[in-house]
Parts: sequence; structure tokens; C-alpha cells
Amino acid sequence: MAFSSLGFQQIQNYDTNSKLKAAYLFNFTRNFEWPEKMKTGSFIIQLVGNNPNLSSELNKMASTKQVGSQKLEIRTTTSIESSIQPHIIFLLNESSDLLKEASSKYKGKGSLIVTEKAGLAKSGATINFIAVDNKLKFEYSNNNAKKAGLKTSEVLKGLAIAVD
Amino acid sequence: MVIFCHNSYAQNDLLFEAQKLCNEKKYDLAIPMLEKVIVHPETKNDPASWHIRSFAYLQTYKLAGAGNTSKINLLDTALSSALISIKLDTAKNYLDNNIAFVKNGAASYYKISTILLQDSINNMKSELYYNKYKKYTAIINPGFDFKEKDIEYYKTTGSIYADLYMKNNFYQKYGDIAKTSLLKVLELDPKNINANVNLGVLYYNQGVTLMKMMEYDVDLAQLDVIQENAKKLFKQSLPFMIKVYEQDPKAEKVLESLEGIYSALMDDKKANEFKQKKEALSKP
Repeated sequence: MAFSSLGFQQIQNYDTNSKLKAAYLFNFTRNFEWPEKMKTGSFIIQLVGNNPNLSSELNKMASTKQVGSQKLEIRTTTSIESSIQPHIIFLLNESSDLLKEASSKYKGKGSLIVTEKAGLAKSGATINFIAVDNKLKFEYSNNNAKKAGLKTSEVLKGLAIAVD
Repeated sequence: MVIFCHNSYAQNDLLFEAQKLCNEKKYDLAIPMLEKVIVHPETKNDPASWHIRSFAYLQTYKLAGAGNTSKINLLDTALSSALISIKLDTAKNYLDNNIAFVKNGAASYYKISTILLQDSINNMKSELYYNKYKKYTAIINPGFDFKEKDIEYYKTTGSIYADLYMKNNFYQKYGDIAKTSLLKVLELDPKNINANVNLGVLYYNQGVTLMKMMEYDVDLAQLDVIQENAKKLFKQSLPFMIKVYEQDPKAEKVLESLEGIYSALMDDKKANEFKQKKEALSKP
């Protein structure tokens, strides 16, 4: 009379960290103000490094969202490219060495530099993702935002971990 | 075929007629007579009256088709009649048959409870009938240990509802039923691998679902709240998976789950540790 038990359930194969980063990046588009010259054409998010899950998540986001009237465009590269003038440039952990080059190249040009390695908000990045208490948080450098020519919302400042 | 003791009720025509009809399998005709028999002063305290009534209702229930829940009241009547017959039957003339009826009925309740488990809107009824199975089994076999049956029943309920939860777009109600059932299994058997794995997966998947459903344009404050809620679920999943890992450190599925949980908790070091352990399994 026994009835058969079902087996084990499967965990969902889903990269929650990539979703979080995508949602944060989209939030940044609303919490920074870019220079007038950057308010036309596509809104470019450049991903430097290899993270297929994040790349896929960002492309999914770009297919459904836009920034004001600007179409969202995702570019994935392995280096800083002179042909791209990104609104947001996200240097993945493996590309952290390019931070110096990026901060120099985009100084005053209205590019938000985002990184994900400890200490980089103090070394040129405006936003640096860090894990705090099992959650993804972000450090914020007001000085680097100003150097980049970006205005920051008070909301973002209030929720960020300020480094300066 | 039920055995009747003719002598004890031969004086009563109605009871005799009802018995005859039962032997001819004309239960629909016998039942109205038996309803009169059980209230008649001459026959209401006769164990045979209740015994035949139990038989007639049990057979009618069976004819309606096993697992026919719309006719479940027939089974209720059959079993309660058998119990009354047992109580009145001081000479124990019908004891074996009455016990067989109750056993049979209890088994039917168990069967119905398993059938209803497959029906996602009827899990409460399923548990109700499972409890009836236990109640009647305990009456005829007071020393019966239900632990294994309970584990099996709640483990199956948990698995079915965890599956329904996944297949129905992570419908919360199904997830909650699965959790409650699997936690009952762990109350009885804390090391149960199936329940621990499925609970770990459930909590993890609920956390993942929160993140999946989150809109990209959720505001920063809300994003933090969603992340906090997901984190709680990921943390809840962890001890269940750890418990299984401690019992079976080479279970690939568990290593993979732990890698996923730690990664969701932003603990790259631990995630990597379990990733490496999983990869080491495939090395010669």
C-alpha cells in the first residue's frame, strides 16, 4: 500500500548576483545626472571582462528598459576602447587593473566608473560593489563622481557607503 | 463475503431480509432496511444489525469505485457501524469480521489520502483522511507505531508540493505546504536526507524567486529590502544542506547546492570551496 515518494527537488540555476548588479546599474542611471552632451543617442553600459550571466542579464534589461528617452545599449569588451564613450563602465574584478587607465581616460567626460574589488572606490571608481553581511552593497566616492563630471542624487548618497 | 450468524437475528424479518439482500449484492435495497433495523428496539442492540450495516455500506462504497471521495460518507458509516458492533458483540461472534472491515476501511482512507495528494486543491482533505486511517488503525491495533508511515506520508506530501511549487511559477501556498510537511518529517527523523535536501532547495528557490521577480527599476531602498528577504531565505536553506553534507560529503547535488547557496550569500570563498569539492568528484 506504500506510495512512492518523489525524488529530490532541483535548485534553480540562476545567478542572483548578476540580477542584483543589473538592478543596481539601472538604479544608477536614475540617481546620477550626466552632462547634457550625454543625453542624446543610446545610453551605453560597457562591461569590461567576462561574465556571461551578467552580460545576459544586462541585455535582457536593455530589451525592456530605457533611460529616459535613451535606448539602453550594452557593450561587452575586454579592454578600454577609445571608440566607446560609455555612460557607465563596469570593470569586472578581473579587469580591475584597468581602473587607472579608465579614470584617466574618462576624467570629466561623464562616465560613471563602477568596480567590484575591495578598495577601488578610493582608487578612482565612483561606485564599488562590495559584499557586506551577505549582501551586495556599494561604496561611493563623491570626489570621483565630481571628477567624472557627474551629479549624484541625495537618495543614492544616503544609501551608499561613503568613502570620502 | 461476510459471515452472518443467523440465529441471533432470525427472529427479526427485516434484519433477515436485509441480510438476504446483502448476500444477493443488492445493497441499495438492503440499506434502507438496515437503517430501520438499527433504530428498532428489538434489533438496535444486536451486534449483527451493525455488522451487516457495516458490510452493506462498505460494499456500496467499494462499488462506487475505490478512491471515490464523493462517497466517503459511506465509508465513515461502515466503519462507525463496525465499531458499534464490536462494542455490542460481547460474545465476539463478529469480532474477526468487524476488525477486517475496520482494517479494510482504514486502508481505503489511506488510499484516498494518497490519491488526494495528487490533487493540489485537496491536501487538507488528504491529511484529514490520513488521520482517519491512523485513527481506525490505532483502534484495532493500539500498539501500532505510525512513525514510519508519518515520515512516508509527509515526505511524499513535501515532495509533491515542492514539485507543484516549482511547476506553478513558485506559487507561495504550495511552497508553504511543502515546508510544513517536510518540517514534520524532520521532527520525526531529523537526519532524513530527502526532507533536508528538499527543504534546503525550497528555501533557496524561494530566495531565488524573489530575486528573479524583482524589477530592474525597483528603487534602491526596495532593492535592499528584497535582498534582505532573499538573504534570510538563503540562510534558512543552509543548515538543511549542511546536515546532508555532513552525512554524505560526496553527494554531488548537495555540493552543487552549497556552492549556489554560498554564492547567493556572497561568500565566494565558501562557494569556491564547494565548487572544488564537486569538481574533485569527477577526477580519477
